Amino acid sequence: MSTWAVLGDGTWGRALAGRLAAGGASVRLVGLAVPSGPLPEGVEGGADVRAALAETERVLVAVPISALDGLLRQAAPAFEGHHRVVTTARGLTTGELPRRATELVLSATCVRQTGVLAGAADAEAVESGHPVAVVVGSAFPGWAREIQAALAGPRMRVYTNDDPVGVELANALAPLLAVALGAARALGVGAASEATALTRAMAEMDRLVQRLGGRAGTAHGLAGLGVLVDLALEARSTAFDAGRALAGGDRAAGDRWPELRDNARGLSLRANLAGVRAPMLETVAAMFEGRVDAAEALATLMSRAARAED
Amino acid sequence: MQPPIFQFNRHRDDIERETVVRSLASLETFGGVEPPRSWQLVLNDAAHHEIRRLEHSPGGDRAPLDAWHRLARRLTRMNPDELRDEVHTRCVQIVRDVQGHFDRRVYDVATRLLPVGLGVLFKGSDLIAGEGAEALRDLSKRIRIEGEVETIRRLAQRGTLVVVPTHSSNMDSIVLGWALMEADLPPVTYGAGKNLFSNPVIAFFMRNLGAYRVDRRLKYSLYKEVLKTYSQVLLERGYHSLFFPGGTRSRSGTVERKLKLGLLGSALSATSERLRRGDDRPIFVVPVTINYPLVLEAEGLVEDWLKEAGQAQYLSEDDDFSTIGKLVMYASRVLRLDTSVSIRFGRPMDVFGNPVDADGASRGPEGTRLRRERYLYRDGRPTDDPGRDEEYTRMLGRAVGDAFLRETVILPTQLVGWLCLERERRLAPGLDLFALLRTTSGDVHPTTALHEDGDWVRAALVRMESAGRLRLDPGVRQKPMNEVVDEALRSFDSYHLRPALERRGDGIVVSDPKLLFFYGNRLEPWAEELRRALAAGRA
Repeated sequence: MSTWAVLGDGTWGRALAGRLAAGGASVRLVGLAVPSGPLPEGVEGGADVRAALAETERVLVAVPISALDGLLRQAAPAFEGHHRVVTTARGLTTGELPRRATELVLSATCVRQTGVLAGAADAEAVESGHPVAVVVGSAFPGWAREIQAALAGPRMRVYTNDDPVGVELANALAPLLAVALGAARALGVGAASEATALTRAMAEMDRLVQRLGGRAGTAHGLAGLGVLVDLALEARSTAFDAGRALAGGDRAAGDRWPELRDNARGLSLRANLAGVRAPMLETVAAMFEGRVDAAEALATLMSRAARAED
Repeated sequence: MQPPIFQFNRHRDDIERETVVRSLASLETFGGVEPPRSWQLVLNDAAHHEIRRLEHSPGGDRAPLDAWHRLARRLTRMNPDELRDEVHTRCVQIVRDVQGHFDRRVYDVATRLLPVGLGVLFKGSDLIAGEGAEALRDLSKRIRIEGEVETIRRLAQRGTLVVVPTHSSNMDSIVLGWALMEADLPPVTYGAGKNLFSNPVIAFFMRNLGAYRVDRRLKYSLYKEVLKTYSQVLLERGYHSLFFPGGTRSRSGTVERKLKLGLLGSALSATSERLRRGDDRPIFVVPVTINYPLVLEAEGLVEDWLKEAGQAQYLSEDDDFSTIGKLVMYASRVLRLDTSVSIRFGRPMDVFGNPVDADGASRGPEGTRLRRERYLYRDGRPTDDPGRDEEYTRMLGRAVGDAFLRETVILPTQLVGWLCLERERRLAPGLDLFALLRTTSGDVHPTTALHEDGDWVRAALVRMESAGRLRLDPGVRQKPMNEVVDEALRSFDSYHLRPALERRGDGIVVSDPKLLFFYGNRLEPWAEELRRALAAGRA
């Protein structure tokens, strides 16, 4: 029986711990305090990260990106070369050089074998018992297969992808592009314009993924297109709410959805440093920071120089 | 403790045997099939590559080509024993062709002679005029050895070194060989291009100082397998080794980032193999940068790059190195420059890219002491996992590439080259590099404007240096910009047939745009940021 540590006892951490236990793993769920409330069968709660790491080689990190640095600082001395880590955090860290979750793991710990869990599935979807799918991005094929085998079940399909950077970036970009789609819908631009926005969002995501270190086509998988379409179909998603608020001129939208705001800022900074065109992403970042309103943003996007479709 | 290579000759036959046995074992399943089919595929692959190569080598001897044709025709008629014997024989031939010697007497002579030899090279005319002693003193001033030398000296006693330098010139192996002796570091064994053996004097020393011979024109799997196994066997047996992970010399002048992972991978495989045998002597990877104010074969290299000759067999191999005259001229010119050749030994790392301290312990980001073998564990035991090890090797390649950047020393020729090239780019935005290089010859840049640009860019470079992202030559860091520019112009003028840049009145003229590109391109990894600093300064 394989042993796992799941760091982060939020809804996503609990759902994934439950999935691992259902697949036959022995799971230690670690929170800031000992997790309260009923835990899924086969899951044991704890609050000592280092003790949990001493017991296992497999680690699933289910904390949001804003909490990742603190967690890794605390855990770093307990990590060793045999540890294999999969992260679920979506987005980039804040700071001068915003970083992806796995970049942070690699720089803050001695761990080398990392992976990313991404896709449209969330705790609610997993627990509802509806069929869902996720993708595991890892450059370590053995580790990717381990995660795949541990999480897969009758109602959960797990795909592997050997472009972890692309998976992680697409997963971070998709919600931001969904914000733009939400804003477009709220402005009532019509189905044809929304279709254009979706198409251009995909082109932008693919371009960004490639220029920031991922591969062509990864954006079209579960982590990118999968998430974007999920958010667009599910009109009540957080990203669409934020888009609607921005379209309505809500100046406090950035404070209401700080993770989206920070993520937009971080990714747009990385795009800028790499010299990549990212008009939709930059527009979303500018709207969150109150630098433009939605109508202006739309006008700017439409008035750019004519170019060939790429 | 004596360097292991002093015992090389005693173990030579053993090494040959082990290399042959292991190469055969790994070729046995070549192409994913069983023998005798695999032997047939091995020989067919060799014949195919060699026939293609020899048919494209004009004026060559017909005999080898005919022999390969005969073998190709015979392949289907050979019985299993004949096939295996043929592969075996060829393995033995390759090892014997590749294998080096180590002669202690030659080493002792070389330790005394090499500085003189380099002195001759680096100051030929003066030495003849009887200023030998001065030339030697000058030599140590003209080649600066810096970095983690003390740590590496200690690590050489505790484990096996894999020295991985940047590669910009055929001078590299000689200059580095001298630097190792000068820094009291042990001699290393290394694979040197066959072309370097074309000069009989140099060949004699290389052969007897542990260099083995690599023929880069040979692309067939049998050859590559034997070569890889040979270098790995040496490493496993504790011979300090040297690889140029960039593969060939940097044609474009930039710091190489795309590293060949095959040889780096053998450091990891050797570590695994040692652990399997219960041998826990570690292998330490030592990144080194060699920084020349002038590159011996710059013109030929940049021509190659511009021709976009991607295949090694079409790249020139013997340029500028077989003629002692050119070497002497190069050396004597470099010696007269104010700027030194700089060799920087970076921080050693383990085969997983973790920094290693002077006691040989690998350290995590928090300073924790790491148990290296754990990287090869799964479920509490060491396990074979080729996919994992390939990725570890890619990561090691990135770590070495990052170290190359951190340890690169920016010299006046490179800074001034970049500044002028950047002015050209701004004058003709949208022009691609090739068009730019065709049209810039004769362009004049006002000296004062160049100095101003230089100050902005230098400020950014100084910030990058304090952040540990690169190194600056002391002159570049401290001297007034007009002196930095003067030094670069003097350097360009002193050696190349046509200098990259020349002074004309109040301006600086681009005389050889390709050379300008070659030297300026050293700053390419930082170019985006430097451009922003320049734009901000001008604004």
